[in-house]
Amino acid sequence: MLKNTEGEALGVITNIQRYTIHDGPGIRTELFFKGCNLRCPWCSNPETVSPARELGVYPKKCIGKQKCGLCAGACPLGGESPLRFDGEGLPLPAGTAAACRDCFRCANECPGEGIKIWGELYTVPELVRLIAQDRSFYQRTGGGVTLNGGEALLQWEFARQLCRACREDGINTCVESALNVPVEHMLAVLEYTDYLICDIKHMDTARHKALTGSGNERILENIKTASEQGAAMVIRTPVVCGYNDGEENIRAAADFIKNELGNRVIQYQLLPYRRMGTEKYETLGAAYPFEDYVPPEPEERDARLAYLAAAAAEYGVNAVVGSEQKWF
Amino acid sequence: MSCNCAVLTSEENIAKNKDVYENAFRVDARPQAIEPFDKEWGVAISGNTPEPSPFPRINRILSVTKKTTNGFVAPDRAELVTRAYREHPGESRIVKCAYGIKYTLEESPLYIYDDELIVGGLGCDKKGAPVHPEFGLNWVVDEMRDGLMDYSEKRTHDYFSYTKDTQERMEALREFWNGHTVEDLTNSLAGEEALKGSHAGKGVFFADAYIFCGAGHLGLDYERLLSLGFGGIRAQIEREMSTLDLSRPEDMEKRTFYRAALIANEGSINHCRRYAALAREKALSCADKARAAELERIAENCEWIAENPPRTFWEAIQLVHLANCMILIECNGHSISYGCFDRYMLPFYERDLASGEATREQCQELIENFFIKIWDLNKLRNHVLIKTFGNGGIGGPALTVGGLLPDGSDCTNDLTYMVIDAHAHVRVPCPWLAVRLHANTPWELKVKTANCIRMGTGEPKIFNDDVTIPSMMSSGVSLSDARNYQVVGCVEPDVSGKTYGWHDAGHMNMAKVLELAINDGRCLHCGESCPRWSVCGKLGKRLGIRTGSLADMTSFEQVKEAYDRQMEYWCTQMVTLLNAVDKAHQALRPLPFLSTVMDGCVEKGVDVTMGGTRYNFTGPQGIGIGTVGDGLSTIKQLVFDEKKVTGAELLQAVEDNWVGHEPLYLLVNSKNVHHYGNDDDYADELTKFGMDTYCKHIERRPNAHGGFFQPGCYSVTVNVAHGVNQWASVEGRTAFEPVSDCMGAVHTHCCAHDVNGPSAICRSVTKLDHARATNGTLLNWKFSPSTMVGEVGRDNFIALLDEYVHRKGMHSQFTVASQETLIKAQEHPEDYRDLLVRVAGYSAYFVELNRQLQDDIIGRTELSFS
Repeated sequence: MLKNTEGEALGVITNIQRYTIHDGPGIRTELFFKGCNLRCPWCSNPETVSPARELGVYPKKCIGKQKCGLCAGACPLGGESPLRFDGEGLPLPAGTAAACRDCFRCANECPGEGIKIWGELYTVPELVRLIAQDRSFYQRTGGGVTLNGGEALLQWEFARQLCRACREDGINTCVESALNVPVEHMLAVLEYTDYLICDIKHMDTARHKALTGSGNERILENIKTASEQGAAMVIRTPVVCGYNDGEENIRAAADFIKNELGNRVIQYQLLPYRRMGTEKYETLGAAYPFEDYVPPEPEERDARLAYLAAAAAEYGVNAVVGSEQKWF
Repeated sequence: MSCNCAVLTSEENIAKNKDVYENAFRVDARPQAIEPFDKEWGVAISGNTPEPSPFPRINRILSVTKKTTNGFVAPDRAELVTRAYREHPGESRIVKCAYGIKYTLEESPLYIYDDELIVGGLGCDKKGAPVHPEFGLNWVVDEMRDGLMDYSEKRTHDYFSYTKDTQERMEALREFWNGHTVEDLTNSLAGEEALKGSHAGKGVFFADAYIFCGAGHLGLDYERLLSLGFGGIRAQIEREMSTLDLSRPEDMEKRTFYRAALIANEGSINHCRRYAALAREKALSCADKARAAELERIAENCEWIAENPPRTFWEAIQLVHLANCMILIECNGHSISYGCFDRYMLPFYERDLASGEATREQCQELIENFFIKIWDLNKLRNHVLIKTFGNGGIGGPALTVGGLLPDGSDCTNDLTYMVIDAHAHVRVPCPWLAVRLHANTPWELKVKTANCIRMGTGEPKIFNDDVTIPSMMSSGVSLSDARNYQVVGCVEPDVSGKTYGWHDAGHMNMAKVLELAINDGRCLHCGESCPRWSVCGKLGKRLGIRTGSLADMTSFEQVKEAYDRQMEYWCTQMVTLLNAVDKAHQALRPLPFLSTVMDGCVEKGVDVTMGGTRYNFTGPQGIGIGTVGDGLSTIKQLVFDEKKVTGAELLQAVEDNWVGHEPLYLLVNSKNVHHYGNDDDYADELTKFGMDTYCKHIERRPNAHGGFFQPGCYSVTVNVAHGVNQWASVEGRTAFEPVSDCMGAVHTHCCAHDVNGPSAICRSVTKLDHARATNGTLLNWKFSPSTMVGEVGRDNFIALLDEYVHRKGMHSQFTVASQETLIKAQEHPEDYRDLLVRVAGYSAYFVELNRQLQDDIIGRTELSFS
């Protein structure tokens, strides 16, 4: 766990979004933790994948080296600077510039938002103060804080401290996680978690591994454990047509929820794939893995989701399409 | 064995008795509108639904209703009023005015259209706009001559066609009115110092809204009209008149007023009778028996209400429509409003339902017809005003529902819901609906309101009783009157029938005041391109007073002091000009008909323009609150706290319109500077200072009709026009961009300054003191449709409204449209004729707005929550 000079725990957070309404009950403040151990090709938060702090470059928000050049001037490597510019003087996404010392001076000097830092460091009290700004909205709607990512549980010690502090401050906590972590890490955070959102991306471990780079055994086992611990849980399947939208897959998930979890889930949500976050890949100099994916027409997709939800409902599971239905 | 009884399963049983079961689970089965309270009309579908009404008649009327504010010039009124003046040369002005309205009501052409149940108009065909030469005829004639009135490249929206005959008839009247208009008198009263910063000068403030038309911005006394009728009002005038002692000079003036009132009253009675006669005539020649019977009934209604108080819902709504048309014919003021409709119409509704006179469905159909009738009315504006006021039509016909009753209980009733349903069923941008919320507003009404807003037509706006009522009381309005407030026009709280509020009297560009404050009273970019150069800069003069230059200021306190002093100076100039306009109205354009339907004027024997009714205000607005807040914040942080730039450098950067200062331009537009709208006290407190300073220098100054000034804090669309008059500014505007709108955060061409979402906006905006802006405030929200979908979207949106109410925000309006749709509509207007959007204060057809305003709406921060 990262600590500052005072010995306080630090979390690496890429984004703090106030007033989110789809990841947990009510109006929530959502934190995106940096670092993930799955590699889903449809990921819409690529900046949260690497656990390291990174430079994000937005050439469109830059006015060019000729008019500004503060970033290049700030680089301690001078002429050896890994910052690269195109013919118009606009910066090129950093990518994996080996020479970069990750000092972020260029980003700090940028007067606008042409170069930003993916992954700011926060202490628990700093975050609680930010989160508490919307307390009245939480009180009105049953909202609170949601830890998301990336994979929040990779920073499990920090997440545990944060959830505990929020709870002590009267703010309910929700964790959205793939649960692909050691069970003790999960349980450590779960102790201070009010709501858990987790994914079943595929019931077939081989397919799961092909999709995400990791099998699903530990995930499913953790879901079972969490359920046994009495976690208030929503399970999601991001339905990507052609990848995991087979009826047998959804039926298997519903069967798992019914028989392994005793149907103790608040909702089983089937979420439509949306092409999002592509501009963030560009800031990292990375390619969008799903660039060539052609999604079905919205009507066709919605019909498919409705059909799958009906199939899951046959198991007595509270299956819903999307995240627009209230939990309670 | 078999039994003939059909045994139903429990599901079948429930299905069969659906209504019974559903209602059985409701604690209170009210409201009973024809639609359930939680009826959904979709998200962001706006007006793009064919046949939205359940009533075939309404859909037929809609099919022939033009979805445009363009119209034509109707010449009759101008001629009739001129004739009245000519035929009564020796009479005092108010009597001339009375003959003007009488002649117009008695002689202008009337129309009754197919299918309609309610009749009435402006003395011309639908979409026609009468001419009001009393306020100035030269501009009408000039615009016709110069091709600035009808469609041309110079006038692409709100244009008016006219025949050659009309043009000649208006030219023939020109000589008579030349030099005798409100504009002429205003200019002579006000003096050069008040004019130099006005519309006629540099445009630091605008106070010309009422120079070229009536003040409007009021509602009649509906209880008075509906309980007395025109006959009862006549009797009251005669009674008061009989008590006068003509040896007393003040009674002599009163007698003149009463004579005028009686003349106008006679005109109004005869106007109703003319409609009765026309309906009867049409009935006789109508082959369709059912329609003939309807026309006969319309004739009976009009005949009865000509003198008597209405007995039924139908008669009452007919009278309300005709009386409002008469007010508009008398004086073309903006925002003649329809009061608290669900209060004054309720007795008629309940009586009709109880007696069987009408069904709920029939009342619903009447309301829908009534709404379309309002949309058919039109008003002539000059080619400059249409730029400040983005999209016209009659302008400002607000109608209010919900809220606290005088006894402190909640008013919500069937009509509250039926009015909102009526909007969803007609989807024309009239009337401008307002729903009043408070801590005890029923859940069902919030759901109905949210569902209507989610549709995306921009209706209704929401008003907050819990701040508005105390705010009005601080201006001396009684508790029970304040609890009866209506919303007038775009924004303003008003006691209908008891207030002559001059509610939208002027607009101060606070951002320009800040510019003058930090540049020693001189405009940035002062030079030959300015039309005032030869009388100002060239002579070494400056527009404002000397308050020092930012380049020389050594503490932020000096900046605040300069702003304060400069603001006081400009408020004084605006107040002076407004009082001159006010005086000119009293001298030249008293309103005898309106005075008969307001509270107090007949009792006092004083015309409404001279303070005849109970509450008398003048309400000019401060504009650019966000721009000033971010400007002060930028100066404080960068020049004084962090010392990243010097005052001289910052001034030079804006003088150069940021050219050559691009890094600084990015910095002031970035998250690295404290900005209003992000729940950041640093910027929010300075924004509050900026607004409070404006309020301080406006509130309680005496006005010319017996009351005082009260500040408002909203721009409607004038922020665009003010921006066009202003060079770059320190918070990151480039030259001529709009200043910030209403209570909203800054969005410049570079980026939006509010980046923390709706809860942060809600908190920032409610750190400002809305109650102090007694003339009203406004926050425009824009939501992406995806955030409004489903239960989650609806209920969290309601929570946001609740929190805004709880935190004492006064007023909010909503756009629910995707950026993508708006841009597509700009590119292919022909496919988006029915796309209604919220502008500010009102909704309008997006494709009819001018390009700058379209861009401004597109540029508002779109709030989406994942």
